[in-house]
Amino acid sequence: MPRTAHMGIAALVLAVLVAIPVLGSVYVVYIANLLMMYAVLAIGLDILLGRAGQFAFAHTAFFGIGIYTTALINNFTGLPFVLTIPAGAALAGLVGVAIALPATRLRHLYLGLATFAFAEVAQWVFNNWEVVTGGANGLRFRPSNTGFMEITNDIEAYPFVVIITLLMIWIARNLNRSKLGRSFEAIKESESVALASGISVNRTKAIAFTISAVFAGVAGGIFTLFQSFVHPDLLGFDTLVLVLSMIVIGGLGTLPGILLGVLILGLLPEVMRDLEVFQELIYGIILIAFLMFMPRGIWGWISQRAERRRAVESQVHD
Amino acid sequence: MWDVFLLQGLAGGLVTGSIYALIALSLVIIYKSTQVINFAGGEIVMIGAYLAMFILFFTGISYWIVVPLCALGTFIVGISFERVVLTRVKGRQMAGQSILVAMVIATVGLSYVLKGFVRLFPYTEEVRSLPPMVDSAPIFIGPAVITMQDVVIVVVAVASMSATWMFFQFTPLGRALRATADNSRAAVLVGIPIARMSALVWGIACGLSAIAGILIAPKVLMTPDMGTLIILAFAAAIIGGFTNIPGIIVGGFLLGIVENIVGLTISSNAISVTPFVVIILVLLLRPQGLFGGSSEVKKV
Repeated sequence: MPRTAHMGIAALVLAVLVAIPVLGSVYVVYIANLLMMYAVLAIGLDILLGRAGQFAFAHTAFFGIGIYTTALINNFTGLPFVLTIPAGAALAGLVGVAIALPATRLRHLYLGLATFAFAEVAQWVFNNWEVVTGGANGLRFRPSNTGFMEITNDIEAYPFVVIITLLMIWIARNLNRSKLGRSFEAIKESESVALASGISVNRTKAIAFTISAVFAGVAGGIFTLFQSFVHPDLLGFDTLVLVLSMIVIGGLGTLPGILLGVLILGLLPEVMRDLEVFQELIYGIILIAFLMFMPRGIWGWISQRAERRRAVESQVHD
Repeated sequence: MWDVFLLQGLAGGLVTGSIYALIALSLVIIYKSTQVINFAGGEIVMIGAYLAMFILFFTGISYWIVVPLCALGTFIVGISFERVVLTRVKGRQMAGQSILVAMVIATVGLSYVLKGFVRLFPYTEEVRSLPPMVDSAPIFIGPAVITMQDVVIVVVAVASMSATWMFFQFTPLGRALRATADNSRAAVLVGIPIARMSALVWGIACGLSAIAGILIAPKVLMTPDMGTLIILAFAAAIIGGFTNIPGIIVGGFLLGIVENIVGLTISSNAISVTPFVVIILVLLLRPQGLFGGSSEVKKV
């Protein structure tokens, strides 16, 4: 795409971001906050799954650690969110390292099963460690604050959610273009080739795992900005499948695609609110249909078409 | 006192364990021939149970006809999924992208489709159970109690597993299937239609799952979400290293017993987390499974 088109899209996104709190209702702003939280969650999962090609299912566990840590620190100390969210992300990252070190020994589907089991154990802990997490009653937490004021509703939270989300997108974009990002790709393509070109495979995998966990932790922090209650049911396999579907539909390993996927699947429940009975069925069908007919997601399909058109054009010019 | 506890736990564990072993077997024959872990395995079990419920409800025919009918039903589901979806997903993947990841996500999609589909039917919103297969007085083994129903469950489960084993071991078709799983290129060279073979394996595995569903339905609460019990089969399969079939069957029984004893000695709350802990421990300490084998994990 030419540079002017990029600028045009950026301006459009900016205009929409400004218009949402100005023109939209409180509910619209809430949905916007929710979608941005999912965006950070999905980008984090994609770093591991789409970029580094590691089949990991533990994302909701790190998301939960982020939520509970941020909320509990806030409950007990009332520190501003610029401190509590990094703390939640750091703990998620630490647990990520602890999981990654043994998990990187496992390959492919074994890794998938091990991380799936870890996520379920984590959810069980959230459900049963009543003293800390409130157990199955859920945990109510007090509004987060900026240091100067309390964030009591979605509209007040919105600018901070936007800033954090844009920051995380920027980090992910730079990561993809860095040496580390390229070694992720190398591992995905072939571990033996990556090893032969001097990439420490296990260490790189562990780093991917950790970064992904930090993203999930930050998403958990964003959650505490605009919500006041968390229940362990949020942290189950269904949420993971939702985020996974966002990535698959948008396009594995493509940042703009994932944002598209988040937008589409995030708005789907709003569009078909009267069809709640069909929700699971529709999700399943969408997921399977994309894998069958558009395996590289919407973005993959768009860029493939653009490439083809460019090829045709250059032939015409010749 | 402890003897009774232990004996009862053992007996109960053997009964549910036999069903877990059967489900694990259906997972593993799919894994061995296509390298796919079927995340929809639990939903196939669920479909089998609900099929049985509807057939019994509307026709009232005997269990001896219901079981093969339901197995046939899920056999068709399995074959169609392999033929219509998986073949396509396999063919569509670009180079460099992991085909397996896509195929496994497709099975996650299938699990949602099946759950959502069952929910559309009446009588599925509330918890159900299947009528007992046999009515008769319980049997006492020492101080432990076993119902006739439990005996039937174990017998049917073990018979299904033995029949599967004999099919794979002694029939020409079974041998062709094993050849495909061992080395698909060599299988093609000797004229085995391997594409049809994977479809058949999916069909057989799903048929077995339906039998397991009918067996387990009287013991657990039937809801469209009952497919989560697949995790017990995952754990059993991992105990057997996902390829060693006798090890997996032992794993199923072991898991049933461990689960029962955890329930009796620790708390009923801890039952639900047991299979996950088993999975994590085995994968960390002995990823090749508990029963022998080299530590080499096959690169796929």
